Amino acid sequence: MIKITLAGVNHKTAPVDVRERIAYPKEHLSPAVRLLAQEENVLECLLLSTCNRVEILTITSNIHPDPEFFTRFLSKTHPALASIPLRPHLYYKTDSEAVEHLFEVTASLDSMVVGEPQITGQVKEAFEICRQENTIGPYLSQIFQRAVSTAKRVRSETAISHLPVSISYAACQLARKIFQDMSNKSVLLLGGGEMAQLTARHMKKMGVRSLTVMTRDPEKGKVLAAEYEAAYASMDTLEEAMADADMVVCSTGADTYLLTVSVMEKAMERRGYRPLFLIDIAVPRNIDPDISRLANTFLYNIDDLKSVVESNQREREMETYAAREIVRQELAQFQKWRSDRSAVPLIQALRRHTEKLQQSELERFSRTLDVLPEETRKQVVILAQSLVNKMLHPTYQTLRNSSNLEEAWEWISRCYGLSPELPSQEAPLQRDESSSAEKQSSVLESPQSSFPIPGEQSC
Amino acid sequence: MKISPLELLLLEMASGFYLGAFVLYLLEVLLPRPTRVPWAPVTAGVGGVLFQSLAIFIRFGFQGHVALLSLREALSFFSWSLVLAFLYLEHQKKARILGLFIFAIAFLSTLMVIGISVHSPLFAATAPIGFLLSLHTILIDLGLASAALSFIVALLYLLLDFFLRRKIFNRFFSRIPSLETLDQLNTNFSGLGFVFLTTGLIFAMIWSWEKFGTTIPHASQGRLAFLGAFLVWIAYAATVLLRWSRRFRGKQAAYLSISGFLIFAATIVALALFSKGSHFIL
Repeated sequence: MIKITLAGVNHKTAPVDVRERIAYPKEHLSPAVRLLAQEENVLECLLLSTCNRVEILTITSNIHPDPEFFTRFLSKTHPALASIPLRPHLYYKTDSEAVEHLFEVTASLDSMVVGEPQITGQVKEAFEICRQENTIGPYLSQIFQRAVSTAKRVRSETAISHLPVSISYAACQLARKIFQDMSNKSVLLLGGGEMAQLTARHMKKMGVRSLTVMTRDPEKGKVLAAEYEAAYASMDTLEEAMADADMVVCSTGADTYLLTVSVMEKAMERRGYRPLFLIDIAVPRNIDPDISRLANTFLYNIDDLKSVVESNQREREMETYAAREIVRQELAQFQKWRSDRSAVPLIQALRRHTEKLQQSELERFSRTLDVLPEETRKQVVILAQSLVNKMLHPTYQTLRNSSNLEEAWEWISRCYGLSPELPSQEAPLQRDESSSAEKQSSVLESPQSSFPIPGEQSC
Repeated sequence: MKISPLELLLLEMASGFYLGAFVLYLLEVLLPRPTRVPWAPVTAGVGGVLFQSLAIFIRFGFQGHVALLSLREALSFFSWSLVLAFLYLEHQKKARILGLFIFAIAFLSTLMVIGISVHSPLFAATAPIGFLLSLHTILIDLGLASAALSFIVALLYLLLDFFLRRKIFNRFFSRIPSLETLDQLNTNFSGLGFVFLTTGLIFAMIWSWEKFGTTIPHASQGRLAFLGAFLVWIAYAATVLLRWSRRFRGKQAAYLSISGFLIFAATIVALALFSKGSHFIL
């Protein structure tokens, strides 16, 4: 009987000083996967390692590896971990729980930032490494296919990924609520703070027409402008620049307001009262808050953007309920596939047994049958086969639909006088053939397999 | 003359479809997840507009000419043109959220049309009104539909502006299109409404001059209609001119569109109360 087992350590169960020691550098993943595949009873295995988690999924025959198996393996591959007791940090899941966990991980429901897009790509990457090491067989192929399908469905059928949870991205999303077409909009970057730079990078990605950098230190400003393919302007030209800008991102170290109501009133008049989006990320603030009272100006400071992010995080949490329903649906599909597949060797054993019985009975009556004409003899053989098939059909169905194959087989073996031991399943050697037969190239080559979107919580 | 049972049935079918479309758009706003059948409300809207088109053609057929003289007829044509304009916008993928308001108005309007038809099924057959007055009634009705669209867009603009200033980020916020889109739509519908209204009034004045020898009708109803139409025209002219001068953008333009529509609707309602089923200015 095939057993699915998962063990792992993630940001919920282990502090960062454990996680950083347990994570596998990219170049160490392949040897570790090879080592795992050589362990006794392991038919297939997957090793996923990111900055927030290490997950090991194994497919074994007849027995679940115990948690110590995994801690031993982790200690073996990370000698530095020998002094740390890993068991308290390790979670251990079997069969449907294990598969459900992997589906949730792939759909980013178990991530530190729920809904972040990188994890799906990281799971695909891990699968690809394991596939190259020939540790993927029919079970892991099916689990992977379903996991990716779950992630796709969660992204398309829920709003989990539509709500930005980083301050810079939230600012860009807000800009989309003010402006329809970003390709004719210009951005003014006041100061060169890290957050302002990140916001500018996002805006550049949104396809704004122009970006102007304005800093008090011209040298720094020119370097920054070159980095973002932007124009540099001196602080003396602030009023002129305000007339042209549609969005202003302010993040200077100045301890007074750079943009006051009177400056803005003049600027708004010069720009024909077109809407202006002001983002003040500086602390202390660089834009007079009274400016928000002016018509067609929208001012957001760091706290406002934080509240946007918090609201989005709450919404994402709400969306996880719907996402978990999708996970349950996909898990049910996998369970059906698994029970169909697990019942095959049992059905084959039962069929072999009844065929043998049928053959011996036909031989016992061979003298009587031999006197019959050829055509009638054939009809009798067909009748015997048909009777056996008809009588066995409900038993096959019971096996296919059984949630506990061992128990079902125990009863059936007693009824038919078979050995109560479960007929053996795929041997480890079958791994290569089956994995090549069920290569998930289409899934890997799909557009979804593109790896992390740059700029968001990358590890 | 009695209302045709077929026309009544078609109007009932149209109102049913409009109600369906409204409910579907409402669900889109209320439900947190994107719908799996985004085409369903549009299909319901198309169904409604087809039934209402048939009802309008039957009415025109019975009268033997363009029949937009009574409040019942004007209201029916108004909701029909409103839905048609929205379907065009939906095709352009401009502002899906408008459907919520448009179909609510269309449903209530057709319900009123049915109510009027059921409670006073007898009405006098009117004599043909001639080409100029036919054009006038169609253009004024189209002007009213444009003003209604401009009004809804302006309301959405003010709502989004309010949400953005108060930092309210709810589901409704996420469904509203950008301020720039709404402002652009407001400009387009106000301009369109102004053109319809101006040409409609010009045709009415030509007709009045031909019939009475003066551009301003003598009858009190006619004078009231002229005064109302003039006020509406001033409001819309101001909107268009102030926009050209670049000072009236966004919020101010939205306020102007709202007041323009309210004057327009008040004029129509006031005239309807005086008209007692015949054409307002006759």
